[in-house]
Amino acid sequence: MSRKITLASDWLTGCAGCHMSLLDIDERLVALLDRVELRSMPITDLKHPDEAGVDVGILEGAVNNSATERVALQMRQRCKVLIALGDCAVFGGVPTMRNREGVACALRRAYIETESTVDGKIPGDPELAVMQPCRALDQVVKVDLHLPGCPPSADAIHHCLAELLAGRTPELTGKNLDWH
Amino acid sequence: MSFEMTIDDRTVTAMPGQTVMEAATAAGIHIPGLCHHQHLPSLGACRLCVVEIERQRGLQPACTFPAAEGLVVRTETPKIVAARKFAVEMLFSERTHYCMTCPVSGGAENTDCDLQMLAYRYGMTHWMFAPDASHAWKVDATRPYFIMDHGRCILCRRCVRACASMAANHTLGVHQRGARTLIGADDDLSFDQSSCVSCGSCLQVCPTGALTDRSSAFAGRESEMTRVKTICSGCAVGCGIEVLVRDNNLVRIDGDWDAPNAGLLCAEGRFMPTQPAPPRITRPLVRREGKLLEAGWDEALEVAADSLRGADRPAGLISPRMTTRLLAGFASLFNETLGSDRVALLYGQVPPMDLGTSATLADVGTSDCIVGLGVDPLKDQKVVGYLVKRAVDAGATLLLVNDQPTPLDRLAGDRVPLKHLSPMSASPFAQLHYSYHLGAGGLSRVKAAVASAHRPVILYAPGLSPTAYAGLRSMHAKAKFLPMVRGANAMGAHRLGLTARPVEAPVTYVLLGDDSPEVGAPSPATDFLIVQSAHRNAWTDAADVVLPARTWAEKPGLLMNLEGRRQRLTPLLKEPPGVRADLETLVLLSAKLGSPLSFDLIVEMCDAV
Repeated sequence: MSRKITLASDWLTGCAGCHMSLLDIDERLVALLDRVELRSMPITDLKHPDEAGVDVGILEGAVNNSATERVALQMRQRCKVLIALGDCAVFGGVPTMRNREGVACALRRAYIETESTVDGKIPGDPELAVMQPCRALDQVVKVDLHLPGCPPSADAIHHCLAELLAGRTPELTGKNLDWH
Repeated sequence: MSFEMTIDDRTVTAMPGQTVMEAATAAGIHIPGLCHHQHLPSLGACRLCVVEIERQRGLQPACTFPAAEGLVVRTETPKIVAARKFAVEMLFSERTHYCMTCPVSGGAENTDCDLQMLAYRYGMTHWMFAPDASHAWKVDATRPYFIMDHGRCILCRRCVRACASMAANHTLGVHQRGARTLIGADDDLSFDQSSCVSCGSCLQVCPTGALTDRSSAFAGRESEMTRVKTICSGCAVGCGIEVLVRDNNLVRIDGDWDAPNAGLLCAEGRFMPTQPAPPRITRPLVRREGKLLEAGWDEALEVAADSLRGADRPAGLISPRMTTRLLAGFASLFNETLGSDRVALLYGQVPPMDLGTSATLADVGTSDCIVGLGVDPLKDQKVVGYLVKRAVDAGATLLLVNDQPTPLDRLAGDRVPLKHLSPMSASPFAQLHYSYHLGAGGLSRVKAAVASAHRPVILYAPGLSPTAYAGLRSMHAKAKFLPMVRGANAMGAHRLGLTARPVEAPVTYVLLGDDSPEVGAPSPATDFLIVQSAHRNAWTDAADVVLPARTWAEKPGLLMNLEGRRQRLTPLLKEPPGVRADLETLVLLSAKLGSPLSFDLIVEMCDAV
């Protein structure tokens, strides 16, 4: 039997919904596991994609700080095919609404002006990630496949993985773009 | 003379003057387009309808390329698909189009958004060039009925063309250049400050969500609704409308492109029916010890019948918006059952109809000389007003004979003052007592204007002096006449012999239906008032008995518009429980009065109309 395809995934600034949709592949996931080995994922114990590299990398969410940027860069370095999963990764999605007001305004609102906050303070620890304007994944690293949807349907995700396993470039049209 | 050309290896027949797009559409071949709209002048701005034409350099826009004998056209080759994909990508790369795949607005099969349909068609999954998400595009929500979101605008300029060619209002234009280009009103004013009349022509043709009306936004996609053709009962023009209905609700009203108004509507006709209405009356009410209290149908009809029975010749007033059958039933109730001649329209006087050849709406739009006599169409018959403006745009001369300034005056080449013969009275029927005089000087000016034109149309009001009408009868035979009446079925009522005149009696029955006429209060001579109305208003508040009524959207029937065209209302909604058909109410009442209405007689009266 040939080597299993290795797959790693991670979430950036998103809501985890796309990963839920990935799990919604349901029993087809069992069949996929015959040919795919899941490496680092939010649902496994590995925290980083293998240094030796994986075949497929999947990222959910937008890039909006130095931490998510680092995750994106590392995944890009260590995977052959990178999939932007969901609207936040593809377009920036809801998190980009922050860009209109700016980082300073968002921090002020979150840490000082919230109704329940008394004597609020914007965290300034140098170990913390540095906020950036929010970007879609392909504005940070090269993306090989865009799979839009909020979240993309399990069928569309399965279609992409199955096509990749078959050695084809997945084409997304019609029903696979209907994510409701 | 028709000729043949080839589209996608098929031989199709085309007519001179057609574009490649029109020839293809007529042959059932779909060419996508965004700036193209069947009912607007072509522009060739969006480049989505590009096709390959043999012996033509590069790709050509089908919407502006003239069809010609022997042309060989291909509409979907790899080269075309690549060009269209690029054009769609570029459109999505501007503004805030995050929605190339959003199925909430429809999905691949049935999206309501023309732009999104193309994204699906060409398999767009992401931006080629990401737009600047930090730029906040302007949203103008200053108008009551619909909103302009520049973030959704693709600058196709359909709205600009609709504003100019449909309503002839010329409010919309293009401001700035390049990436800063914006659709704007007048000299870059907010819409509420601009010359916009909210006719919604732009809204009806917008291919994206840039123009959205407040009532149908987020109310579901069109595939979840039924689209029903019917007639607007807002005024005597009787425009054709298409109504989107969902779950017994009116969601949106579009102008019917196939009707004589050709898609054009006014703000009231397009938006009022979908606005929140005053509280609905679903149960009869009877006044007891000064208070209006809910009562059963039988009880309320009994109280009404008692008062009518005891009265000497009670008075009946009915809205001219009611269907012909209801008008006939109402007249019959008073004339036959109650033996009273005091039955009239609340408003909607009809001027003499024997002045000459009748004009149609189409005649107004294509006339080269329009005379307005005592009329204010931009207030009372707005779509006619827009048609007048269109004719003036096309070079028609406009002569207005009026007694007070109207918004049309600006366009009039000539204005003649009208003289009042009798002063305005304080009666609620004031407009009936107007008598305008068109002096010999005025008449000769009208005659001169008519004589120098090829297709003169005279818009004339009721309330002119007999001498004025006599003068109009002597007009040259080429003049066509359009009576500018008020009330959706005032013409039908006129044929039945019902006119607008003051009638007063101690007991008065007012059938309003869903009308809310400006005539504000009942006559002081009335001791007992019966009001049949769909909604609460000043009349029902003053009434002693209130009977529920249907709205225009709930009943079938015929209305006759100001051209004299009989048009059919299609019921759109089911009335709330407890509300009866209006004619049924009249029949039940007449039975209580001991002399039931003859349905045969009512049908006979209507047939005569």
